Amino acid sequence: MRSTVLEHDIAQVVEMVRQGKRLDGRGFEEMRAFTVEVNKYLNAEGSARVVLGETEVVAGLKMEVGKPYPDNPDAGAISVGAEMLALAHSEYESGAPSFDEIEVARVVDRGIREGKALDFEKFCIKSGEAVWIAYLDFYAINSDGNLFDAGSIACLATLMNGKKPKIDANNKIIDNEFEGKLELKRLPLLTTFVKIAGKILVDPTYLEEKAAETRFSVATTEDGLMSAMQKGMNGSFTLDEVNYMIDVAFKVGKETRKQIQKL
Amino acid sequence: MSGKQREDCPDYKKDKKRVDGRKMDQLRPLSIKVGVLPNADGSAYLEWGQNKVYAAVHGPREALPKHTASPYKAVVKVQYRMATFSVPQRKQPRPNRRDMEISKVLAEALERVIFTEQFPNTEIAVFVEVVDSNAGSRVACLTAAACALADAGLPMKDLISATGCGKGFNEIILDLNKEEEDAPDAVDIPLAILPNSNEIALLQMDGLITKEEFNRAIQMGIKGCKDIYEIQKKALAEKFELTELTPAIAKAEVKGEKASATDAAKPSKTEKKEVKAKKVKK
Amino acid sequence: MKKIVVPGELVSSERKKLGGNVYVANGKVYSKVLGITEEEGDIASVVALEGKYMPTVGDVVIGVVNRVVFAGFGINLNSFSDCFIPKSGMREELKQGDVIMGKIEYVNEMREADLEFPRKVFGGEIIQVTAVRTPRLIGKNGSMLDLLKRGTGCELIIGKNGRIWARGGNIELLKKVVKFIDKNSYKSNLTSSIEGLFGIEANSPAPQMQQERVAPNANAKGFAKKAQAPVAEATKATEEFETIEIEGADEASNQSQKDDSEDAA
Repeated sequence: MRSTVLEHDIAQVVEMVRQGKRLDGRGFEEMRAFTVEVNKYLNAEGSARVVLGETEVVAGLKMEVGKPYPDNPDAGAISVGAEMLALAHSEYESGAPSFDEIEVARVVDRGIREGKALDFEKFCIKSGEAVWIAYLDFYAINSDGNLFDAGSIACLATLMNGKKPKIDANNKIIDNEFEGKLELKRLPLLTTFVKIAGKILVDPTYLEEKAAETRFSVATTEDGLMSAMQKGMNGSFTLDEVNYMIDVAFKVGKETRKQIQKL
Repeated sequence: MSGKQREDCPDYKKDKKRVDGRKMDQLRPLSIKVGVLPNADGSAYLEWGQNKVYAAVHGPREALPKHTASPYKAVVKVQYRMATFSVPQRKQPRPNRRDMEISKVLAEALERVIFTEQFPNTEIAVFVEVVDSNAGSRVACLTAAACALADAGLPMKDLISATGCGKGFNEIILDLNKEEEDAPDAVDIPLAILPNSNEIALLQMDGLITKEEFNRAIQMGIKGCKDIYEIQKKALAEKFELTELTPAIAKAEVKGEKASATDAAKPSKTEKKEVKAKKVKK
Repeated sequence: MKKIVVPGELVSSERKKLGGNVYVANGKVYSKVLGITEEEGDIASVVALEGKYMPTVGDVVIGVVNRVVFAGFGINLNSFSDCFIPKSGMREELKQGDVIMGKIEYVNEMREADLEFPRKVFGGEIIQVTAVRTPRLIGKNGSMLDLLKRGTGCELIIGKNGRIWARGGNIELLKKVVKFIDKNSYKSNLTSSIEGLFGIEANSPAPQMQQERVAPNANAKGFAKKAQAPVAEATKATEEFETIEIEGADEASNQSQKDDSEDAA
């Protein structure tokens, strides 16, 4: 059980960063070790449970048949939702979605959508009438910081192991029957940084987030592209710092991707 | 007599076995792990059949909004929610009326056992999240919540043990699964008791049933709850091993190494000598 | 025999003096909490293994400033509600996150505490532990606290509310040892294990040699009341099941448990 975050603890984080160290002994470019379990939740068409340090996130995919947008009659869609459950931290409240929850969901969503991870044309069932819509929701079960990256890993692992349900002649889903895995064209992953005492650290813990002045997330793909960016909090970065973070994100993203692909 | 049977339905009276192979009074496999969420004051993760639920307790803590506080006792708040992907047809993220009703009956069951007068002006907030389900999620959540409360150190008169019981496919059964819940003659009775006194703290029912059938189901349910109680006790005790310590174990753990099996049996002669010879720090 | 009990479990079916964390029904004594109870002995009580801090008059506590308002300061005591100190009650001006120390002077029916002579604490580090296990860190007559001070060389104040303030000395070692004690607070041989770790005696009378040697059963679920550890040389041989002396009232009953230090053979 964690008590209130003490100014004292925050001051300690800052002091250690000044000396080039982190509370858990990691390097500034080092992500925490993480584990991923896939397809544990059987009602979902794909699911993942990710534990990144002490941050635990669960994600699940539900495929539904819906009507396409008139300007894009052959394309399916994806919708990403996120909830920072009250279970995850005594400071999280239940109720209407908070700014933080919405931001996390939208940034993870952009990474996947703009990264063209899914071929939405493959989601077409009947042009202009029926397409697949992928609803991807992830929940923070315990938060020790960086729900961005934990959520991104959980969502990617879910999609990589997701299945398309079989449908009948009336485009209704047949229970418990599937017609194969989802095919992903790209594997975008978010990497998140914070700036503390002028230094940049990857994969912040809860305490490091509290001690930070600014935060930055970027989604990178395996073919050297970026598909989303988000600067958060009320500090600022120099352009050099942004380029540095992009370089680190490609490195870290590559390692993370390798681990997910092994599943 | 309850509803007519379709010809293609199983008939448990004839088959003597359930669709998943269980006996009429047999529970689905149930496992509980306590103390799984570091940020919560108490927590538990429970798997029961296909059901998978997390329970977290925050409190006793200041009751907010202030007008909900009582000067005489702690207020117990339960929030029961299901993940969108925890059910066959995607569930809307916003809580629905079923979520609210279940939250209410769970809170009332827990209030029966917590010594709330010991914590006036506070709230005890219990959050249960269902990430996968197959009938019986509310009793799974209640069973997990009781463990989480004990894990939080809250004083209680007893634990709460809960199960579903009722009728399906022409027989009185324990712990209905989804297929049985969907049977045309299904009667689902969620039941929770204080295991040491058999007092009933939660009781609901839907379906069509006679008084005699109901009582047979409840008897089965009470026995089931008693079995669940044993599993809850074991899960809580598992957090603590009553083993003996030795200086060698202390040294290894403090250093961050795993104590070897021999450390536990008896500290070696030479180790003890070494430890003794260490200079006393000033 | 030590036994783990859950809320509602039977502690004693006989009439006994009542200790803490139990209640009586139908002439029998039951546990209120998840904890450890001693089956023999003349007091029926349970040592709680988990829980927040219950404010008790006379306790020394370490608080953190949570809120600063015009009239004073809201202090987090790792309990059910914050404690309030009016501006006039503090010599120093406090800001959010400051650490203060004080003694509990008064507790009202709502479990809100007033502190006597609160003062700001400068420097040092705060270590958080499970509040209900704090007595184990202090030990009988401060024996464990003393052992910690001597073994690490730190200046130490242990707040009964699960917070330790430490300055100087080997704080890294202190953190690790404190974490170990917190995790293993209910186990036997804790004091002698810590002594062995530091290489110091808790209570200094000349250590005795013990000839008898019995290998403890590493898989024992409970304890023999007198656990005999094999001893090569001069450390204490036998150790009673250690319980803790806690002063202060529990609502209905006195919570008194004894911390018996090792028997000299």
